[in-house]
Amino acid sequence: MRKFTKKELAQYDGKGGTRTYVAYRGKVYDVSQSFLWQDGRHQVLHSAGKELSGSLAEAPHGPELLEKFKVVGILESS
Amino acid sequence: MAKVAREVVEKAGVNLDQLVELLVKNAAAELTTYYYYTILRVNLIGLEGETIKEIAETARVEDRNHFEALVPRIYELDGKLPEDMKSFHDTSACPPASLPEDPRDIQAMLRVLVEAERCAVRGYTHLCNLTAGKDHRTYDLSQAILNEEIEHESWFSEFLGEGPSGHFLRRGETSPFVSKFLR
Repeated sequence: MRKFTKKELAQYDGKGGTRTYVAYRGKVYDVSQSFLWQDGRHQVLHSAGKELSGSLAEAPHGPELLEKFKVVGILESS
Repeated sequence: MAKVAREVVEKAGVNLDQLVELLVKNAAAELTTYYYYTILRVNLIGLEGETIKEIAETARVEDRNHFEALVPRIYELDGKLPEDMKSFHDTSACPPASLPEDPRDIQAMLRVLVEAERCAVRGYTHLCNLTAGKDHRTYDLSQAILNEEIEHESWFSEFLGEGPSGHFLRRGETSPFVSKFLR
């Protein structure tokens, strides 16, 4: 499975036709097909191309909604 | 615009641009859900479909009420609604509650309905969390809407066999929590 650095992940911000990836607990998910991630933004406050473990802890939903999407890689810790 | 009302919310630490955008997205979700529920309701036919038609109708009408209740708050906070309907639809805080491939599949219809309500419950919980203790009016409105969305979810969830809703359906009037914002 592909390994992503944070810099590489940031390229998949959903803008200008790029894929929309987000990371959660080390896994990189492809949310490009999600209505709720159009243009790389989610509910005004969140942006794609980032590690969202901290944000998800405060969200009104758990990881089960993210886990519906395909895992496309692993986020390297450093 | 309500100038002082806006100032006090900003002073309390709320990012007003983000809040207004969220309110517009949730208003869009309500109006588009009203539209999609119209189609779902029409297609709730046969013995099973007719059984849930009434609650689908109540949820549909109350979602329109939620839209009507949100609009004044958006304008008070110096926001506005998009001028074209397509962008309004596409900015919705929830995905379209589209008719399932087989409208005769009542379980599939119920799943569409309950997922729409669950999205709304998450959205208003988020708005309550953002405004609690900071923007009393938006909090009060969001909490009123949240109460109704939770009831909608529990009705459809009950029909899906997930457990009892614990309460009766509406008797006559709609929007017991939100009606104070509609007068």
